[in-house]
Amino acid sequence: MRRASRTTARLLRRFWRGLREWCGDAAYEIYLRSPHTRTGACPTLTRKEFYVEQLNRRYSRPNRCC
Amino acid sequence: MKRVLKLVVWLVVALLGAAAFAKIAFDRGEPLNATWFVVAAVCCYLVAYRLYSAFVAAKVLTLDDTRATPAERHDDGRDFVPTNKWVLFGHHFAAIAGPGPLVGPTLAAQFGYLPGTLWLIAGAAFAGCVQDFVILFCSIRRDGKSLGQMAREEVSERGGFIAQLAVLAIITILLAVIGLVVVNALKSSPWATFTLAMTIPIALLLGLYLRFLRPGRVLEASIMGVALVLFVVVAGQWVADSPSWSRVFTLSGVALAFAIIAYGFAASALPVWLLLAPRDYLSAFIKAGAIFSLAVGILFVRPQILMPSLTRFADGSGPVFAGKIFPFCFITIACGAISGFHSLISSGTTPKMILRESHARFIGYGAMLLESFVGVMAMVAACAMPPGVYFAINSPPSIVGGAGDAAASTISSWGYSLQAQTMTDLAHKVGELTLWNRAGGAPSLAVGMAQIFSSTIGGDRLLSIWYHFAIMFEALFILTVLDAGTRVGRFMVQDLGGRVWKPFARTSWMPGVVISSAIIVALWGYFLYQGVVDPLGGINSLWPLFGISNQLLAAVALVVATTILMKMGKLRWIWVTLLPMAWIVVITMTASYQKIFSANPRIGFLATANAMVAQIAAGKIPAEKIAETQRLIFNQRLDAAVTGILAVMILVLIVEALVHWYAMLSRRKDPVLHESPYVATRWAADYSGATHGDD
Repeated sequence: MRRASRTTARLLRRFWRGLREWCGDAAYEIYLRSPHTRTGACPTLTRKEFYVEQLNRRYSRPNRCC
Repeated sequence: MKRVLKLVVWLVVALLGAAAFAKIAFDRGEPLNATWFVVAAVCCYLVAYRLYSAFVAAKVLTLDDTRATPAERHDDGRDFVPTNKWVLFGHHFAAIAGPGPLVGPTLAAQFGYLPGTLWLIAGAAFAGCVQDFVILFCSIRRDGKSLGQMAREEVSERGGFIAQLAVLAIITILLAVIGLVVVNALKSSPWATFTLAMTIPIALLLGLYLRFLRPGRVLEASIMGVALVLFVVVAGQWVADSPSWSRVFTLSGVALAFAIIAYGFAASALPVWLLLAPRDYLSAFIKAGAIFSLAVGILFVRPQILMPSLTRFADGSGPVFAGKIFPFCFITIACGAISGFHSLISSGTTPKMILRESHARFIGYGAMLLESFVGVMAMVAACAMPPGVYFAINSPPSIVGGAGDAAASTISSWGYSLQAQTMTDLAHKVGELTLWNRAGGAPSLAVGMAQIFSSTIGGDRLLSIWYHFAIMFEALFILTVLDAGTRVGRFMVQDLGGRVWKPFARTSWMPGVVISSAIIVALWGYFLYQGVVDPLGGINSLWPLFGISNQLLAAVALVVATTILMKMGKLRWIWVTLLPMAWIVVITMTASYQKIFSANPRIGFLATANAMVAQIAAGKIPAEKIAETQRLIFNQRLDAAVTGILAVMILVLIVEALVHWYAMLSRRKDPVLHESPYVATRWAADYSGATHGDD
């Protein structure tokens, strides 16, 4: 029983994490954890700056199809 | 023992699929249950994925998981992000699944359920999925380069230029035709127009929230947005019931077309965070929810298929659009079986986020199978309604003789019995003023979906809510494609203009932004307006044009894929991309030829123009209508010219590719492959993504 609830909790955690990644909710956290940011090669963007910059990049190329 | 068991399971799946297919193809007795469609499609997809995609992965592409992908080599947390394969599958599917697989099969249902269903399943397994998978693989091996860049490097400069032109052509025609679908869905419908109009202030509210209050908190903002959208779907009924508000939101086709054109311009010129992005978030959630609900609804309700397997319109005299099954069924289905536009996604964001090469099979091939399944569901929804109702909704007034008793008797004379009262009752039940002459696929799909949903929850009482939910779902994500496409088109116009005058290419220079937005909106807006005033309903001329441009881009992608396979020394296996390419070229060229030169005025653009010229010469057109008729003549000739240009582009590309292939095969030219050098991966075999890797 305890094992089943642990497995369910793990699956739900994964689902939640996947959902946040899918919709872009976790984008800033992923950005902060990327090797590129951690090495400090460029100044780290704030959450606000990152949000706008990421949207401008995403919507400058085909990202929705027919 | 385990191996034998596996073999038995796969044998059962294959036999079940074959039996379901045989039932669909040969059953001529009582109405067929939709479950057979689901079983046939799912079994075929499973077998195609297990066998054919595995063969392509192992023998043709020889995927290599020891090789670092662009996401690993350039991981910057922005473009290049190693992503869990399930999450990336969701991303990729959300990007490729647009209105095409819903509208195309709904329109193709006029031939009966069989031709469209066969092409949806076989076309996806052998052409569409292969195209997406191979292009994704090619882009991964080239640091995520775009289709245009790959065409330039691997085929020729001219090939790259044709790819760029094809993208611009497809964007222009696509935006016009989906705009027309929305116009026909909202025309004379205050409820639907109010609901969709309200999604704009909701998106603006979300945009401000995400920009200033809680930057980047997409999930919580989307949940609030979806709740508000569902509320306005219900509130639309109050608007429709109020005589004064109902008048405000009852708009003609032309008024709606101008409203959509103004919206496209605003979405392109305004900051992306304000309108475009929040609307996209709403659309993504509602799209995922509606598609999932439709699948569950079909399985739960198991509706009877009332449309015959083949209708009398296989002869080319169809009221929805004219032309025989070959080539028009294939051109019409388009995205549900193979879509050139997908190659832009497969060579865009996805290759930069993929974790391992082997994931390309699941994401490239698998996501397209799912899109094909969406097409099969749309076909089921369209064919589950009485054929008479289907033709009443989708036929233009010039074909059926308007609405009411005259139209009902025309449709009944085709062998699909219909009472005018049936349409009145249905319109009343779904909360519309009328359902006659609503060509474009969206209203008939919404009726089909609403019937399935209401059989699951709520019965007839909730039919109107479900109908307007379905219309909102279709229109919302069509407008998302429209605004995102307009913005991409604007960047392409700025890029082209920048070659003439550099400041024009600066995306932050306001005059450049406004002028380029106006140019791209004027391009598709013209075709949209032309479709709205077309006496044949517009879909008859614009949807085939869209199909042709889409398949042209697929031909470009398959030429690039074949050339790369040849350079990789996989000559033995090039039929994998060569055969779909040949098929696409044959159907596209045949359709182009017929759309230009057919003597039937309902098919050939020039024949239509000539018939109108003859009517003017014979004095059959009243003096006050002559200027309008001359505009229609010009539009038909313009459509013929556009089709001709697309056909010439295909021919130039094929000749270009053949010359290139001959030079390589005769060893006059060395096959230089522009792959990125091999770098071994440093990730452990069980690493599963930037955040999932922590598990």
